[in-house]
Amino acid sequence: MTASHKLLFIGEPGAGKTTCIAAVSDIPPVVTDVDCTDELALRKPTTTVAFDYGELALGGEDRLLLYGLPGQARFKFMFDIVREGLLGVVVLVDGSTEFAVQGLRETLETYAGDVRELPLVIALNKQTAPSDVLLRQCRALLEQYGLVAPIVPVDARRRADIVRLFELLFILLDGEADIQAERGSPQWH
Amino acid sequence: MALNETTRQLCTAALEDLLRRCDDVTAAMIAVRDGRPFAEKIRGKIEPGKFAAMASSLAALGQSVMRDLGAGMLDHVLIESVEGKLVIANVPGSGGLLILSVLARREARLGLVLGHTKTCALSAGAAIS
Repeated sequence: MTASHKLLFIGEPGAGKTTCIAAVSDIPPVVTDVDCTDELALRKPTTTVAFDYGELALGGEDRLLLYGLPGQARFKFMFDIVREGLLGVVVLVDGSTEFAVQGLRETLETYAGDVRELPLVIALNKQTAPSDVLLRQCRALLEQYGLVAPIVPVDARRRADIVRLFELLFILLDGEADIQAERGSPQWH
Repeated sequence: MALNETTRQLCTAALEDLLRRCDDVTAAMIAVRDGRPFAEKIRGKIEPGKFAAMASSLAALGQSVMRDLGAGMLDHVLIESVEGKLVIANVPGSGGLLILSVLARREARLGLVLGHTKTCALSAGAAIS
């Protein structure tokens, strides 16, 4: 029987969401980028305004459906469009700039309430060896928003790194299933 | 082409003209392609920021679908619901910078809404070019 699992990428503009999906998708990704018209144009030429979409075969007939949302808070309504059946969320952070923590803060400010009940991974992009200070600040921010999530460095261009994120999410998912089973609730499928 | 206060006023005038010509139009907005309002005339309660963001998402998705289907560049997106009609069209001459969104009551004749939308888009395009 075919099963599709839906994963979501969120994060500040320029954090690497489009790159992540392009790195792992088995199909040419659906891209809805347009040229930037505000100060963001100083950092990158284009920005996503609807969503990125890609697919990854899991073996057999199973597939991962990958959605990447725009980074700007004004597009938050897109979350309601993709939220049904979400299995987990990856929060991308551009770890290479001094604004990394600010970017994560803006993302959490927008989405913390929506992702609280979902398996969550924080991916520090463009930063192979994040400093202890950055990691501490990210953890403190998560705590501030009442969230618990592993923080891992990634190179969004590397398929292996993104697959590792998915593995982490599935581990979190298994853990959640165990907890639910102990409580007598339905398990994740 | 420049987006400034003068072009904003000219675009607003084009929107006012649209609403004056077509009573069934309840909202008209010109937004920049990445989802921010530039000029709007709205009858009733619609939040311009969210309207602009949603319109840019729809236009981008429409463009993506038509590109994927080999159907060329997007001209307009049309959505009809039980309560109304929404047309989202490129503003010609803006180099894809601006999009026009027009919301009309269900009773509005589709041909008229499309016609008025095109006329307004041309006026706005002439204003900024």
